[in-house]
Order: sequence, then C-alpha cells, then structure tokens
Amino acid sequence: MARGYLMAALAVFAAFSLCTNAIAVDEIKIGVLYPLTGGAAAEGKELRDGAELAVEIANNVKTELDMAMAKNSGIKSLGGAKIKLIIQDHQGNPQLGADLAKKLIQDDKVVGLMGAYHSAVTKTVAAVAERYGVPMINESSTSPALTKEGLKWFWRTTPHDGTFTNDLFLFLQGLTQGKVRGVKPFDKKELLPIVSACEKTEWGSNVDAAIKEIGKPSGLEPQISLLYAAKAPDLSSEGQSLLSVKPATMLFAGYGADAILMIKTLKSLKAKPKLIWGQNAGFESPEFVSALGEDTEGILTRTVFSPRVGEVKKVSAQVNNLYKTKTGRDLSGASARAFTATQAWVHILEKAGSTKPQDLQKAANEVKIDADELIVPWQGIKFTTTGPDLGQNVLGTGMIGQYQKGKDGKMILEIVYPFELATADMIFPIKGW
Amino acid sequence: MDAFLLQMAKAITAGLLMGLVFGLVALGLTIIFGVMDIVNFAHGEFLMIGMYAGLLTATVFGLDPLFGLPVAAVVGFALGIACYYGLVRFLLRGPMVAQLFGTFGLMLFLRNVALLIMGADPQSVHSGLLVGKSFVLGPGIVIEVTKLAAGGLSLLAFGFMWWVMKRTKIGKALTATALDAQAARYMGIPTERMNSLAWGLGGATVGMAGALLLNFWPVEPNVGLLFTMIAFATVALGGFGSISGAAVAGLIVGLLINIPSMWDAFSMLIGGDRLQVGLLHQFKYSFVYAAYFLIMVFRPRGLFGWKH
Repeated sequence: MARGYLMAALAVFAAFSLCTNAIAVDEIKIGVLYPLTGGAAAEGKELRDGAELAVEIANNVKTELDMAMAKNSGIKSLGGAKIKLIIQDHQGNPQLGADLAKKLIQDDKVVGLMGAYHSAVTKTVAAVAERYGVPMINESSTSPALTKEGLKWFWRTTPHDGTFTNDLFLFLQGLTQGKVRGVKPFDKKELLPIVSACEKTEWGSNVDAAIKEIGKPSGLEPQISLLYAAKAPDLSSEGQSLLSVKPATMLFAGYGADAILMIKTLKSLKAKPKLIWGQNAGFESPEFVSALGEDTEGILTRTVFSPRVGEVKKVSAQVNNLYKTKTGRDLSGASARAFTATQAWVHILEKAGSTKPQDLQKAANEVKIDADELIVPWQGIKFTTTGPDLGQNVLGTGMIGQYQKGKDGKMILEIVYPFELATADMIFPIKGW
Repeated sequence: MDAFLLQMAKAITAGLLMGLVFGLVALGLTIIFGVMDIVNFAHGEFLMIGMYAGLLTATVFGLDPLFGLPVAAVVGFALGIACYYGLVRFLLRGPMVAQLFGTFGLMLFLRNVALLIMGADPQSVHSGLLVGKSFVLGPGIVIEVTKLAAGGLSLLAFGFMWWVMKRTKIGKALTATALDAQAARYMGIPTERMNSLAWGLGGATVGMAGALLLNFWPVEPNVGLLFTMIAFATVALGGFGSISGAAVAGLIVGLLINIPSMWDAFSMLIGGDRLQVGLLHQFKYSFVYAAYFLIMVFRPRGLFGWKH
C-alpha cells in the first residue's frame, strides 16, 4: 500500500515537473521597434529581415552553421523555449516609438526590447525600458550620447559614432601616408578643404560634433559644417554652401531619402570632390545604390559589414548565403547588426536561464560572446558595466567601404579600412560629376 | 566682389527655380480652395500619386519619364473627380470640422493604399531626358534642367489657369461658384459640376507636378508631406484662392529657403565667420514659416488674396 502511495506521489511529482517544464517551454516574446515606413523604411526592412533570420537559426537546429545558437532548438537553458519577435513600426517618430514600447511591455508582456535604428527613437524607447525595468538591446543607433546617460537596462552591441568617426580620421591620415591599398602617399593639404553636412536630429548632430572634435587635432576639421532637416524637399542651398569653398573632402551623415537627394543635388551642381564619405545609414542602404546606380561609384561609407567579410570569416559567408536565399539580397550593415543584436539576446537568455528582468540584467552585464560566433568582424561582444560608457559593447570595431563596380556591373562595397582587411584598390580621387 | 556676385546669382537662381517648383505644387491647392473654401489635406498625396503614375509609365513601358506627364495629369484629374464625388460632396453637407477631418482621412487613406501597393522603399528613375541633367550658365551658375523644366511648366500652367479663370465661360462659372455658390446656382450654373471640375483641375496640375518632380526626387508613400507643408505656407502667403498669388509666393518661398546661400555671399564679401552658415541651414524653413506667421498676423488674406 505504502509502495502504491509512493508511486502515486512520484507520478504526481513527475506530472508537476513535466507541467512546469511545459510552462517553461513556451515562447519568449521580444518587442522589436523598427522604422518600417517613412524615409528609412528600406533600412527598417533590412533590420527586420536580419533579426528574423537570427531567430530562425536560434529556434531550429542548423548543424551546418559554426555558431552556438545554431546547435540548439530554442533556448536550451529555458527548456527549448522559442523566441518570438513582435515587430512594430515606429515610422522614425520618437513619440510613437515610446508609445509602442509601452504597449509592448504592458499589453504584449515582452521580456525585452530591441531597436530602434534612429537614435532619437532609441532614446525615448530606452527611457521607457528604464522606467519599466525591462532590458533593451540596441543594434544600430550610434549616437554616443545613448550610453552616456547611465541607463541600467540598456545595452548597445554596435560601436558608436565616437569609434566610427575616430576610424574615419585614422583612415584619412592613413590615406595620406600611403597605407590604403592602391594609393600612394600624398600631402595632407590635398584633402583640404573639408566640408560636412549632417541631418539635424539626435544622431546627425552628434556625428557633427564628433567630426569637429576628433578632426581638430589632426588638422582635418571641416571648414564648413552644417546641419540640415532630413525631411526636406530641397537641399540645393546646402549643396551650394558646401561647394562654395570647392571642397576636396565631403563628409555626410544622412538617413534614407535625404542621402539620395544630397548626392543627386551634388551631381546636378556638378560637384568635383576627391573624396565623399557617408556615416553609414542612408549611405549604406540597398536603396542608396538602387536609386543612384553608378553615381555611387567611389563613395565611401563607414559600415560594419560587407559581403566581402565572408572571404575572411566563414560564418559570415554561411549566414550571408542563408540571408540571400531568404531575401534575395546580401547582408548589409543594418541586417548584419540586427542579426548580431538578436544573437546577443539569445546568448543573454541562454546565460540567464530565466526571463525575469533582474536575471536578464545580470546575464547581459556578464555575457561574453567570442569573435568566432559573430558574422561582423568584431573582437566579440562584452558590455561595460562601469564608467561613462555604460552598456556599450567594447569589442566592436568599424570598417570603411567604397562602392565600386563589380565584374557583373553591379555596385559592391569593397573594404578599404581596416587597411589589413582591404579587398580592393581604393579609387582616389573620385571622378566627380 | 566677383565671388559675391556669383554666389548671390547662384543663390537667387536656385531660389527662383525651386520657387517655381513650389508654385506649381501649390497651384492645385489654391484652385480647390478658391472655388470651394476647402483645404485639401490630401494634396501631397495627389502629388505622390502623380509621381507614382510617372514612375510606372516610365518603368512598365520603358519610356522617358516625360511621357508620364500626360498620364499623371489624367490620373490626377480622375482622382480629383473621384474624390469629389466619392467623398467631398458628402463632406460639404457637414460642418467645417468634418471637411478638415475628411480630407485629412483621405490623406491617410491614400498614403496607406500607396504603401500597400508600392511598398515603403523610395524609388526613382535612372535615365531620361531630364534626369540628373544640368548645365552651367556664364561663370559657374548651375541650372538644374529638371527644375528649369518644372519652372517652365509651372509658368505654362499658371498662364493656362489664369486664362481659363479670366477669359473663358468655364472660368467665369468657377469664379461665380467661388464667390457665391447659391447665387450661381440660381443663375443656372451647375455648381456641382464646377466643384468637381475644380477638384479635377487641382488634381491634374499637382499630378503633373509630381510626374515632373520624379525626374529629380525619389518617390515613396510619405513624399507628399515634404511638399505639402511648404505648399500650405505658399498658398497662405499668396492668398488662398489666388492663382497669381501662388506663383509669386512660390518664388518668395524659394528665395527665403536660399537665405543661407545668400549669407554665404555676404560672408565672402565681409570675410565673416563662415561656420555660422550651418546654423542658418538648420533653420532655413523657419524663414518660410516666419513669413507665413507675419502674413497671418498683418494681412490674413495673403498678398493677393481676395477672400476674407
């Protein structure tokens, strides 16, 4: 009889534990905020596709991929729970972003947030995350100010504009010293005068400040630096001002449509600079190339990814192939970074083994992802937990690519910086219009 | 001094060209308001549809984007008429607020339909007679051919509309409807048809403007917003309902947004701090809205307006 009771107790216990497992093996909801309509819609779509591919890999076993999250089906430490992204469109509007974030937390009960591309939107969404104590991973907003506010629930995987702008001036100095593949050393004066134009929201104005600050010590500060409204029908007065000093080097920070309009305006004004550099975003979206075609030849953009990375990193090539099968496009800086941030989420969830905010916060502060795991050419992911740049990934690095015409006649981003990763001779000076 | 004059000439040329473009965009808005006292919030969406009509004509048939002009005019006309009979006619029976919200709703509806059908990515034409073309006049004044053509078309459209309104029976009937719809009805003018004609003409001019702008601007479902804000300021400046007012106000707006370039010229002359120009560009649209504000305060009917 006692044995019968014991068996029954065991059965009940087993049923309970199965039951709790069954509760654990549910889905983990992550709220994602991207600009799916408006001027930056093309980038938003890239981000969404990158994040969705990462979730697909995390939720299924893909043995052919050399990354930890491809080995398990779902989050192993949470009993194989699957990740579900709830993606919302913030239209590039900071207020809407904040409202959607609240809705995701309160109504959809997401365990964490990801987004939001535009630094201005990320700022308001991060404020909501902080208020509700919900972890947020940011994949691609590069305003340095975001990690300077001491937020305890905000982590950023991408390097920020401080790093990127530093890279720009290291590149320009290296260019004059003959370090760039295919370019002989020349006098620094040939790069002068420098002019810059940045869009005037949170992101662009911070890029503008970084360019002025970091360029000054090396004598490469812009002679004219202006801010403009990205949502504007005309940039010809900006173009005229920039060209009035006959610039050799032109630096830009623009989101989607305004970057295209700026280059079209420069072309129509018959600009003849030796070098054009764009701070990613609009200069890197697939639409930039499809709208401008061969006019992009020779334009530089800072980036974190080029399909060319696949030549030196096997896992990048593998993931790029999957992405291409899924979307018909190569991975871009936006999609590669959304992929990487989602991957960081997977590692954090795996490490936490829980969906409680405090456990996730602890795991995010402790997580360390090796370089081998990543498709971007960084040294890994490790967030700072003290100091002024709180929550920033310290192992990220930037690249500079140049649009060149490939063998098939299509424009492709060749790597010119870091110098040792160069995949082609740099075109310098560019021919202008 | 030469540099000053050249820079000044560049700024003024760019301002006048862009001004004609703004004028062309604003023309349709002022026609509709002039006849019916209705502010069409969906005006920018008409422009966007004109751009898409031009884009599709160019890409589907492999034609020069210029062939899109008549197509966009027809599409714009049909859209205007359809909107009148499908929506505006009913709105007129309601209070003023219903009219405002009605066209605002139309704006959201058209924008989202475009989003559904055409997607959110900006698209543009790559080749064509006017695409990306410009020529240099004299010592370095660059003339953008698209804007020049838009300017030319704008003058033609203004001339045509002025002729229609002042010299034809239809124009007189439109004006009569605008002045007093009820009295016009008593006189045997089919006011209903006149109203729909105003919407059709408004749609056709802005549709054509769209097809022409396509030669330079990428099109996406939200593109209308960029131009509508300026178009409203232009119409208010010129006087609601005034056709010549829209033309002159367009030019003023074009010159106002080129104030930073003019400042460049002056800074060349006096050797001032060039860096300040950055600040001016940031606020260049503020000059337009400041002018709008001043007009609203001191001359609410606008420069050439005749309606109170």
